[in-house]
Amino acid sequence: MNRRSFVQRGLFGGALLLLGGSTLALYPTRHLASPTRWLRVLDERGFQVMVAIAARVVSRPDADPVLIAHSVDESLARTSPEAQADIASLLGLFENALLGLLLDGRAAPFTRLDGPAQDRVLESWRDSRFVLRRAGYHALRRLCLAVYYGDERSWPAIHYGGPPDVNGFFHDDSKAGTPEWIAAQDQKAGAP
Amino acid sequence: MTKLSVVRASANVTNGSAASADLDLSADVCIIGSGAGGAVVASVLAAAGVSVIVVEEGGYFSAADFDMREAHTLPKLYQESMQRATADLAISVLQGRAVGGTTVVNWTTSFRTPEDVIDHWAKKHAVGGFHHADLLPHYEAIEARLSIHEVDESAMNRNNKKLYEGCKAKGFAVALTRRNVYQCMQTGYCGTGCPINAKRSMLVTLVPDAIDAGARLLFRCRVDRLDIAAGEVSAAHCTLLDASGYGVTGKRATVRARRFVLAGGAINSPAVLLRSGLNENGLVGTRTFLHPTIAVTGLYEESIEAFYGAPQTAASHAFAHRGDDVGFFMETAPGYPVLAATAMPGFGAAHRQMMETASRRTTHIALAIDGFHDDVPGGTVKLRPSGAPLLEYPIPPRLWEAFRTAQRRLAEINLASGATEVSTLHDPPITVTGEHDLHRLDEAPWEPCRVGIFTAHQMGGCRMGDDPRSSIVRSEDLRHHTIKNLYVIDGSAFPTSLGVNPQESIYGLARLMATRLAAR
Repeated sequence: MNRRSFVQRGLFGGALLLLGGSTLALYPTRHLASPTRWLRVLDERGFQVMVAIAARVVSRPDADPVLIAHSVDESLARTSPEAQADIASLLGLFENALLGLLLDGRAAPFTRLDGPAQDRVLESWRDSRFVLRRAGYHALRRLCLAVYYGDERSWPAIHYGGPPDVNGFFHDDSKAGTPEWIAAQDQKAGAP
Repeated sequence: MTKLSVVRASANVTNGSAASADLDLSADVCIIGSGAGGAVVASVLAAAGVSVIVVEEGGYFSAADFDMREAHTLPKLYQESMQRATADLAISVLQGRAVGGTTVVNWTTSFRTPEDVIDHWAKKHAVGGFHHADLLPHYEAIEARLSIHEVDESAMNRNNKKLYEGCKAKGFAVALTRRNVYQCMQTGYCGTGCPINAKRSMLVTLVPDAIDAGARLLFRCRVDRLDIAAGEVSAAHCTLLDASGYGVTGKRATVRARRFVLAGGAINSPAVLLRSGLNENGLVGTRTFLHPTIAVTGLYEESIEAFYGAPQTAASHAFAHRGDDVGFFMETAPGYPVLAATAMPGFGAAHRQMMETASRRTTHIALAIDGFHDDVPGGTVKLRPSGAPLLEYPIPPRLWEAFRTAQRRLAEINLASGATEVSTLHDPPITVTGEHDLHRLDEAPWEPCRVGIFTAHQMGGCRMGDDPRSSIVRSEDLRHHTIKNLYVIDGSAFPTSLGVNPQESIYGLARLMATRLAAR
C-alpha cells in the first residue's frame, strides 16, 4: 500500500484528511532527544515519535530508545520508497492528537503522554477493529524489537549464548559431499 | 570479507555495483535469478555448451560473510531486509535475495513433490507435459549432487525432539526429515547462511558448477523489464545496484539473448512479467501460494534452546489430507533472537517476560496447504508505483479453520511432550496449561494482524498448464504461451502449493525442463 492508500483506505483517513489542519492535529511534538547522527529516512518529528514508541515497546532497563530509533531509521533505508513513506505516515498518525481524540479519547500527541497512557494507545491500535491500525502497531513493534534483539547486548537477558564457535572450519569445495568426491577422498586417504 | 574459493572470482563473474559504465551483454540464454530454479538451469545449459548469462539482483556472498548474527545477515540475504510482507502486513514473507537465492537461507528440508500433487495438477490444471516418473532421475541426480539424505535421530535438537515425541504420544504420524547438508556441525544457523558451507545450497554447488562450465554471472543487477518485439523477448533492461544492494549506481545493463529464462521465484518472476506488460490473460501474479504458517510456543521446565541445532529434523504430515478442509503439516522453526522477538506477541513487560523464557520455549509451526480447494485461491502479485512487487493475500474462511485446528493440534503435541504451558502468537496471546483448558484456544480471534502468520515457501504466480486461457506457461517445457523464447523455470510455475517444503520440487522440475531445453 502506498502512502496515499494507507491514509485513504483507513476508515479514519477521511476524517483525518478533513480535519488535518486543525489545532489539535498541529499540536507540537514533544522533543525527547536529539538525534546523535544523521537521520537517513525519518524526519525530526518522526524520530521523536519513534523514540517514544521504542521506550514503551522495549521495556528493559538497558534499552536505549534513541539508539533503537536510530537503528530503525537505518533499517528503513534498506526498504522500498513506498515502505518508507508508509512508516512516515504511520508515525504521523500515531502522533496526531486529533486522531487520538477521535479514536482513543486522548487530546494530546503520543509524545506528550505519560508512559501508561502511551501503553493504552498502543493497546488501542493493537485491539482496533481496523486492520490498518493493527498492522501499524505490528509494523512499529517489530521494527523496534528486531533492532534491539539483533544487538548482542540484549542476549544475556534471554539466556542466548550467541553463535557457536565453528573454529574456523568450512568446506571450500563445490563438489564436497558428492559420491564421486567422497570416493576420491577415500582413495586419497587409503593411498600409501 | 574474505572470499572462499568456492565463491568463484573469475572473468566470468561481474559485480554490477562496481561497473564504471553501462553494460551491454549477450548470450544464447539469459537466466534471470540464481536460486533453486536459475542455478539448476544454468548448470545444465552451461554443461551442454550453451552460452549462458545469469543475472542476479542480490549480492555474491561466502561463508566468511555468514557470521550467524541476524543484524548483519538478514538485511544482506533477505528480500526487503527481511521486511517483505503481504499488502495488509498480515503475513511476513521470508524470502532470500542473494546469489543462490532462498537456498542460501532455507532450513535445508528436502522433499520430492508428492505424487498425488502431480496427479492433481494433471487432472485439475491441465499439466500434461510430464509425469511423476519423468522427475525421478532428476531427483536422484540432485539428491546425489546436494548430499540430500535422511537425518539421524541423534541429530535432533530439543525443539524438534519435542515435536517428534509429542506427535508419537498423540498417535500423529511423524518422520525424520531429509536435508541437503554434508558433515553438518548443526550450528543451527541455516537461516542466516551456513557458516561452514555444510549446507549444499546453490551458492556452493550448482552456481560454481555453471561458472566452471563457462556461464557468466552478473550480480547486483535488477531486471526492470523485458523488451518484446515480434512476439519474442529481445533484451532484458536492468538497473545496477550499489554495494548495499538497496541503492542504485546510476548505471544500467542490457542483456540480449536468443532465449530468456525467468527464475526470480514466486513474487519476483510475476513482477518482471507485469513490468514488461506481459499479462494478456490477466492471470500473471494470481494463484500465488505461501503455505501460510502459524506457530505456537511451548514453555518447558528444561532448556530447549531452539536457536541451536539443525532447524528442521522432524515433520508431521498427519493432517495434510483433510478432505474438504484445508490440510496442514507441522514442523519447527529456529528460535534466533530477532526471529523469536518479532514473532512473540506483545510489547513492554509482557513481551520481555516471554523473551526471558525464550530459551525454554519451543517454536512449532503448522503450514497450511493452499491452492487445492476452489475457495482457497492464494494471493495476487501486483506492482507498487515504483514497480516493486506487492502481494495481496486475503485469507479465506477455510484457511482460518485450518489455522484454528492446527493450533489446537500443536498445543496438544506440546502438552503431550511435557510443556507446562503453551502460548499462541495472538496479540495478546492465549496461554493454556493443560488438556483441561485447551477449549480456550477456540476463543482465539482469527483476523489479519491479530495473530502472527508467516511464509517461507512462496509458489505460483506464473502457473503452468496446457490451456493458455488458464495458465501462463505450457507444462511440457515451461515456455510462455505466446512469447516463444521466454521460459519461467522456478517455483512460480507451480499451479498449487505442494504440501511439502519446496526446494527439491523446484530443483527436480528445473532440471527436467533444463534438460529438455538443452536438447533443442
